[in-house]
Amino acid sequence: MDYKYDTDFWAGNAARKIWDDIVPGEPRKTIPYTLTKEAIYKLCKATGDMNPLYVDEDYAKTTKWGGIIAPPSIHVLLMFSCTPNDDWMRSPGTINASQSWSYNIPARPGDVITLQARALDKFIKGDRLFAIHDNVFFNQDNEVICSGRGWTIRSM
Amino acid sequence: METAFNIKEGQRIEGTSFSPTRETIWEFCEASLDYNPLHWDDEYMKSDFGKTNFGGIIMHGMSNFSLITKMMTDWALPQQGTHRRLETRWKSPVKPGDTITPSGIVKKVKVTEKANWVVVSVEVKNQEDKLVAEGEAMVEFPL
Repeated sequence: MDYKYDTDFWAGNAARKIWDDIVPGEPRKTIPYTLTKEAIYKLCKATGDMNPLYVDEDYAKTTKWGGIIAPPSIHVLLMFSCTPNDDWMRSPGTINASQSWSYNIPARPGDVITLQARALDKFIKGDRLFAIHDNVFFNQDNEVICSGRGWTIRSM
Repeated sequence: METAFNIKEGQRIEGTSFSPTRETIWEFCEASLDYNPLHWDDEYMKSDFGKTNFGGIIMHGMSNFSLITKMMTDWALPQQGTHRRLETRWKSPVKPGDTITPSGIVKKVKVTEKANWVVVSVEVKNQEDKLVAEGEAMVEFPL
């Protein structure tokens, strides 16, 4: 990562957009991120998915992919590694209600991954404030890795 | 309906169970970079979220998402299938000490001009058989 990642999501929270400030359609700031084998391994271990295709180079070389690939759910990490500390996805108390993702090609170690992201919509349901985020991840060849959106309940 | 690639509507898919602990949830924070205090801050989780009080830290929804993904790729990859889509809705929070298990059922087999598509209805239940997540996956198989 080319910037200091702040693991304290309270720090800088004042700089983040609250629900009232979120403008559907407005792009979010994003940051290129170089994926590594170590980051893939760490996520696979944390999710209990140690498929050798993701973690064993010798095995992965024998497959049609010719080397290690990331699991489809790598966007779980990319969502945070490709956004700055003041991105509103980090607002403490943000609750994930639903997500949908489509997968095109796998991400690989060494890929320089970029994100195009925006708020797609915001609405009120009952007492809850919702915002939908819309995201597309690309590799260095401008190929789509995956695209998806998430329905979040905003903290108040 | 039987197809050339031998996947039938109604076929069941079983995933592997996962039992989150405070440690595994923190490990997921570090691996995903999602340090939302919902997942580690006991004091913060004493507060109310609108009408909801979770009564303690909760597991990341995306940890659940990853567990469903594992079920789908464990099923699809050995059959030359490609996991193409996953949509999930979270119905109940998952907490340390819970054991969650994903499963799926093939709802539709659809042949298009270039591939065999399989639509799978997925769900995750906890140790009390309570639904914690539901959704739909799509897998592409060669013709």
